[in-house]
Amino acid sequence: MRPVLAYAPRPGPLGVARPWIVAAYLAPLAIVAFTIANPLLLIAAGTTAAAAGALSAAGPSIARPLRWSASLAAMVVAVNAIASQRGATILLRGFELPVVGRIDVTLEALAEGAVLALRIIVALTVFAVWSACVDPDRVLRAIRPVAARSALTATLVSRLVPIAAADGTRMAEAGRLRGPAAAPVGRVALTRRLVAGSLDRSVDIAATLELRGYGLGIRSRRPRHRREPGEVGLLGAGATGLALVTSAAAAGSTGFDAYPRIAIDLGPATIGLALAIPVVMLAPLLAAWRRRRTAGG
Amino acid sequence: MVEPALVIEALEYRYPGAVTNALDGIDLRLEPGELAVLAGRSGSGKSTLLRAACGLVPHFHGGEVAGAVTVGGRSTRDAGPAELARSVGFVAQEPETQVVSTTVRAELELPLELRGAGPVEIARAVEETALALAIEPLLGRTTDSLSGGELQRVALGAALVTGPPLLLLDEPTSQLDPVAGDELIALLRRLNEEWGVTVLLGEHRLERCLAAADRVVAIDRGRLLYDGPPEAFGRAALGAAPELATPVTRLFQLAGIDASPVTVKEARARLRAGAGPAPAPVPRPAETQRPSRRASGSALSCRRLRVELRGEAGPRAVLRGLDLDVDPGERVALMGPNGAGKTTLLRTAAGVLAAAGGSIAVPDGAAMLGQRPDDYFVRERVDEELPGSAGRAALAAVGLDVPGSADPRDLSGGERQRLALAIAMAGRGAGGEPSGLVCLDEPTRGLDRARKDDLAGWIAELAGRGAGLLVATHDVEFAARFASRVVLLARGRAIADGSPLEVLGGGWYFATETARVTGGRAITPEQGAGLLAPDVLAREGR
Repeated sequence: MRPVLAYAPRPGPLGVARPWIVAAYLAPLAIVAFTIANPLLLIAAGTTAAAAGALSAAGPSIARPLRWSASLAAMVVAVNAIASQRGATILLRGFELPVVGRIDVTLEALAEGAVLALRIIVALTVFAVWSACVDPDRVLRAIRPVAARSALTATLVSRLVPIAAADGTRMAEAGRLRGPAAAPVGRVALTRRLVAGSLDRSVDIAATLELRGYGLGIRSRRPRHRREPGEVGLLGAGATGLALVTSAAAAGSTGFDAYPRIAIDLGPATIGLALAIPVVMLAPLLAAWRRRRTAGG
Repeated sequence: MVEPALVIEALEYRYPGAVTNALDGIDLRLEPGELAVLAGRSGSGKSTLLRAACGLVPHFHGGEVAGAVTVGGRSTRDAGPAELARSVGFVAQEPETQVVSTTVRAELELPLELRGAGPVEIARAVEETALALAIEPLLGRTTDSLSGGELQRVALGAALVTGPPLLLLDEPTSQLDPVAGDELIALLRRLNEEWGVTVLLGEHRLERCLAAADRVVAIDRGRLLYDGPPEAFGRAALGAAPELATPVTRLFQLAGIDASPVTVKEARARLRAGAGPAPAPVPRPAETQRPSRRASGSALSCRRLRVELRGEAGPRAVLRGLDLDVDPGERVALMGPNGAGKTTLLRTAAGVLAAAGGSIAVPDGAAMLGQRPDDYFVRERVDEELPGSAGRAALAAVGLDVPGSADPRDLSGGERQRLALAIAMAGRGAGGEPSGLVCLDEPTRGLDRARKDDLAGWIAELAGRGAGLLVATHDVEFAARFASRVVLLARGRAIADGSPLEVLGGGWYFATETARVTGGRAITPEQGAGLLAPDVLAREGR
């Protein structure tokens, strides 16, 4: 079974570019997710990330994490509405919940939760695009000369995840094949077995790594990669996007306050930035996509 | 003087916490350019010996060790597996844990990068290794998109890419169909002959690899049982460990012919020289006739069955209009190349997969045992897995008598298989009887012949109690042993369906060794002996 966040060789600049260039390209979108609260800009960044994935033929690979993040986002909104008792616009007064007691649900708390949820969705989408398009072997190869132990751990984990996923799928299937008179499997028992099995598997993988030469301590040569087509465009888009986001943040045109009443900066600068992000960031990918279509007839 | 590829002297080894030695006084010396087959029963110490020869024992596994192992002039006491990897390559049994990179190219590049090789050396070695192993088309693929056989080749490539003069392999054909298995053995022979790679090959299916071997090393309970040429191994095995004897050796022994040929070609030549021309046809043994359908209805009925599996590139048809019936009491071997749809059919019959077209009916229910019995065990006691009287009835149905307090993972391989099947069958059959259809998926993986005979015995027992048995297997010798009918699948359709003699008697790849010797007139040594026995020949005036 292929894990959800599975890398596969993909066409287009994101699929062939060196990892640090993809990182530079995606950085402005990640910065928006982690530092900017304006929902309009978050929506622009999230849409741009999803479109970048789709233009790199990674649509199906980012659809599942997106669905997961949507359910996580709904939970965040609900929890924030219950946990935050601030805000002037009360939608539900004296709502009784067990353990928590009497609570009010405010529009502002819902809005704050929605912004948090948007941040999660954008961050996960950016990560999903990275995971789907960037070959982990190239990342590990780049890390190995400078941090061999970290590269070893990351290699072990990156291999163990798909194996554990496959083991889990098989064990769940074996659970479905149990006769009606056999003891039911139960999630706890299954998880315990899976963890115990993963330990055995990790020993086998570690043995393979040892045989491949990880224990030698020889400093690997720093790999040299030639420039790939589209890398200049990606770097340019990333740099422009970064400049736009940082200058808008410095100018104070990305504001959002939930309390005491909702206040969103929707001035021309913010709207312009929300339009500029997708245009600037997607331009190199769209150009490459058009070239592929033309070449493909 | 040329340095030996491997020297093992008085090697004793005990795993941490074990009470007995896994290896007990092994002496072995492999000269450069030899291809040796390592034979032994399940649990005899083959894997441990191979791991000792590459330094994983004791460096990785720990434990107590005595004696000495020298690989390419370096002692495994002083050098660990990584340092020895220039002198020895090791391919273990499980291909899934043998690859550590995302793409095939990166997997082959990794050992060289970790040894500080330059880009030119890496590119050349990867390309040459890929060409030698015929995996060049796979270089751009991700490792999680490969089949078991492809993974096995990639693991072999990663072990060979640094150019080690000694190659150790632990049951590399256990997951391969007969075609891929024969190809792998031929590839090892080519590596050995053309590049001078010394090979030590641990294998259960000796008939598959003895013809390629220069030497056989057999061990039993950690001790050396035989070390000599393949030509003398047959007689030695018949004396000391009959379950290691190949089908053709048993055939000649049962026929009373004083010879132990290694290959089918030699066996035929021996018969031509000493016993006259091949014997005339005799009536087919009754047990290989396809049984007539019973009036009571089918255990399984498929009509134009179409099943699709979902992949990255969308749905892919695996079964394409399959028609198949299995009657109660029938023992059907489902054979065919990897990817033919065998496992998919079993999973559909067991209700794991849904049909995309056509129909499938399993009137009295189906119990399925997958390739890994351990997947069925989630608790620490047998009676926790199978509680109450229904659980005891399920254990009785598979003839398993073990204490309820036993940990399932502490049982022997055969007992684990039976317990897993009991878990799958529990509560399905009426009154403690087995369910209508019992599906087994590659049940002989890693089993020696004695365990396979046990398995064939309890398959017959289940069939005798009315269950229809549908067993997917690559093992033609095992199919000949247990089956009353063989169905050959290819590209999702049944391309041959008949008695074992009809299907396994006439092919090239899907034919037993006995069938090749007897020209397809018998498929098991017992049947063949009836044809070849000197008194039969004498009766016919030859």
